[in-house]
Amino acid sequence: MDFDKNQQVTKILYIGLIIVCSLVWLVPILMMLSVSFMPPEIRSPNFGGLFLPRYSFYNFALIFSEVPMLRYFYNSISVTIPSVLMVTFFSSLAAYAFSRLRFFGQDLWFTLLLLTLMLPIPTLVIPLFQISKNLHLYNTHWGLILPYTALGIPFAVIILRSYFVSFPRDLENAAKIDGCNPWTIYWRIMLPLSGPSISVVIIWQSMKSWNEFLLALITIDKNSLKTLPLVPLIYSGQYMSRPGAMFAVLTVMTLPIIAIYIFMQRFFMSGMTSGALKG
Amino acid sequence: MNRLKTSRNTQQIGLVFIAPAMILFFAYVLYPIGYIIVNSFFEWDGVNERIFIGAKNYIRMFKDEVFLLSLRNVTYWIFLTIFPQMLLGFLFAFILNHRIFGKTLYRAIIYMPAIISPVVIGIVWQRIYNPFGGLLADVGLKSGLLFLVKPYISDPKIAIFFVILVNVWQWTGWSMLLYLAAMQSINEEIFESIRLEGTSKWQEIRYIVWPMVKSTHLTLILLGVIGALQTFDLVYSLTNGGPNNSTQMLSTYIFLRSFRLQGMGYGSAISVFTLALALVLSLFQIKVLGAKFQVGD
Repeated sequence: MDFDKNQQVTKILYIGLIIVCSLVWLVPILMMLSVSFMPPEIRSPNFGGLFLPRYSFYNFALIFSEVPMLRYFYNSISVTIPSVLMVTFFSSLAAYAFSRLRFFGQDLWFTLLLLTLMLPIPTLVIPLFQISKNLHLYNTHWGLILPYTALGIPFAVIILRSYFVSFPRDLENAAKIDGCNPWTIYWRIMLPLSGPSISVVIIWQSMKSWNEFLLALITIDKNSLKTLPLVPLIYSGQYMSRPGAMFAVLTVMTLPIIAIYIFMQRFFMSGMTSGALKG
Repeated sequence: MNRLKTSRNTQQIGLVFIAPAMILFFAYVLYPIGYIIVNSFFEWDGVNERIFIGAKNYIRMFKDEVFLLSLRNVTYWIFLTIFPQMLLGFLFAFILNHRIFGKTLYRAIIYMPAIISPVVIGIVWQRIYNPFGGLLADVGLKSGLLFLVKPYISDPKIAIFFVILVNVWQWTGWSMLLYLAAMQSINEEIFESIRLEGTSKWQEIRYIVWPMVKSTHLTLILLGVIGALQTFDLVYSLTNGGPNNSTQMLSTYIFLRSFRLQGMGYGSAISVFTLALALVLSLFQIKVLGAKFQVGD
């Protein structure tokens, strides 16, 4: 959309408004960065530490000797990658079946899956905790990977199914005449051609798995197995009187995500819009 | 006949294709729902044998002040998150749908909070809200705007509103994105034809853009209601339901009852209530208002 010649005042107004709002929006993030560079001798900085007279790397040096950040990154990665792979594979299989095959109870199964989208996850924590205990998955990464996969599949199925439905049938029909079975059609035709919506699912599920907090809180008790979102809690006592160190932990946790986000912004945006479901 | 039969057989293979998804669904969604329903009729500390107590947990719920407080907070959350977020998100999207220098940057900034862990966000905002040397208090002291110096999240009367404010800040970018996607699918010719008639920007919003993104409004309301019932991380890290339970939500209260106060039976009853509420409210919106989980489609 564009502005008319007689709408220049409106245009300036819009630009002014959006600049002010963006700056306000950035403040908490700048504050996180700034406080993490706070030298230890500064006890009560002005404006909560948004601006400092001096900046130092002291806190980062400190936490890298005291906090095994790499271990927590490794934990988060080893929960995120399997759950993303499983969600992508299982949901594309199911979405293909729902959009192209006819089988017993088809609509019922689909409606049931949709039901998951209306469930507040915290209502299921008691049974999910008991399941982990009974299956001996308590304090294991599989105790997170399985529920993340289960809870991620339904939404991925919706995205992929609506993509498959809009997919032209000609290729498949040709393949069928050549004697391809449903598996070959799925694996050789549908999957390779659904790159855009698969990437939506991957980005969406990566964000979900990476940031998930509640199930991790009830499933993982052992510090050495904890994923990143649990890390601030581990050190909240130890760093109570050292906000600089705590904020350095937060910054180290967050910067890689922001970097990936800036790097792949276009992907993220389209991924998140088609993935119209918030956590 | 023979051909029909083979084609039916190949179709039933669909059941195999959906099997992994459905097995996980039964294990991690359907079984848990049954579990909390049964468990809600028992008293259970999570360790010893559970005792059947009939509907007592449900009766207790409606006499429980903290439960009622959580219900009130959820209501506040629904109204005070959804509508401000829709209006702001719509406004930002409308502005950024114009040819403006640097719009990708503004978009990226406003969306950024949505990708950060709510746990991180909670800790950062504690510092912003701190009445002793926190950001807002200091701005207030130095500028003379003394109303900014207040115990934002330690005063039980106002704390919930400032938790909600953080939530709005975090998710506005996300509603902006949904609106942008919807606006970009509006045909450019419509704008050109009305521009010839000399309509103002306000009329453009009022008569064209706002009505044409109706399905996005509905999606945002639907997801906002479910969001209010399942929000946990931010409240847990910002106030942990306090002070004095004044920011307790149904989700955090379930957690508190079940895992901190060893009341897995009572926690299950609150879970069942919350689940039923979520289903009724979402089904109403989907069936009656025509809301959808996915924009476009």
